[in-house]
Amino acid sequence: MSDIVAIDRFENVQIGAAIGPEPMFLSKEQSRRYARACGLDAPRFTDDEGARKEGLPGMIIPGNMSLGLLTKLVTDWIGQSGARIVRIGTTYRVLVQPDHTISLQGFVTHTYPEERACEIDLWIENEDGERMVTGTATVQFPK
Amino acid sequence: MVDYDPTLIGKVFEITEPVLVTPEMIREFCEALGETNPLYTDAEAAKNGPYGGIIAPPSFAVTFRNGRHFFQNIPRFGRAGFDAGKDVEFVAPLRPGDKVTLNSSVKEIYEKTGRSGTMVFVVVRSTLKNQRGEVVAHIDHRFMHRT
Repeated sequence: MSDIVAIDRFENVQIGAAIGPEPMFLSKEQSRRYARACGLDAPRFTDDEGARKEGLPGMIIPGNMSLGLLTKLVTDWIGQSGARIVRIGTTYRVLVQPDHTISLQGFVTHTYPEERACEIDLWIENEDGERMVTGTATVQFPK
Repeated sequence: MVDYDPTLIGKVFEITEPVLVTPEMIREFCEALGETNPLYTDAEAAKNGPYGGIIAPPSFAVTFRNGRHFFQNIPRFGRAGFDAGKDVEFVAPLRPGDKVTLNSSVKEIYEKTGRSGTMVFVVVRSTLKNQRGEVVAHIDHRFMHRT
């Protein structure tokens, strides 16, 4: 279950409001499960040895999984407000490896009262506070 | 400046065969992400929700894969490219029973020089449509090549 405090309506969205942090231990099994669910059979997503043969330090999680986790952070925050995520963009800066604790985070950077929309900065951090994946999202609330 | 054939830009190079979205695909995807939102996981609750039934989580849209000729059609620069990021515009929800096709074209090619050297980015735009021809999502894949 997510511990994210959900927003109830646009009027309560404040610039600077934090979303998360949502810490999670990313296991190899979860990474494999995501890869299987998406039909990704490249060894780099499923086993360390195969990943090393590709010149990687070990298994990595698919970039799409990072995007999925950040999207989930936003939809957890949207909760039952009726809002929807209309856009998300991600940049994969550093390889994300399973068997580590990561932290999903974000904060509101802009609000657009006329459109009842807001813009959010997002990122995935490792144990050293390094931002491995960064992104932005746009959320539209009901009019 | 990066050198490429300008007629590549905007040309649709691939349209995939339709892929049927099944409840099992959505369930497995939700389990893999730890998704418990009833909109995506609980058919009974979703029936009374804003979409009248289960929909897929938004990021399910990026799981549709381009066809086997995809990488043959992307221009390559230097060493093999890798996934540098994505921009996704969610237009309409995906539901069980939808049949999804992707059409893909090269949207943009540009060069960037950073501390680690020069990189060429190839942006491929995939548009997802359902069986009624309605756009479900636009996905811009950014592939980065080190020259």
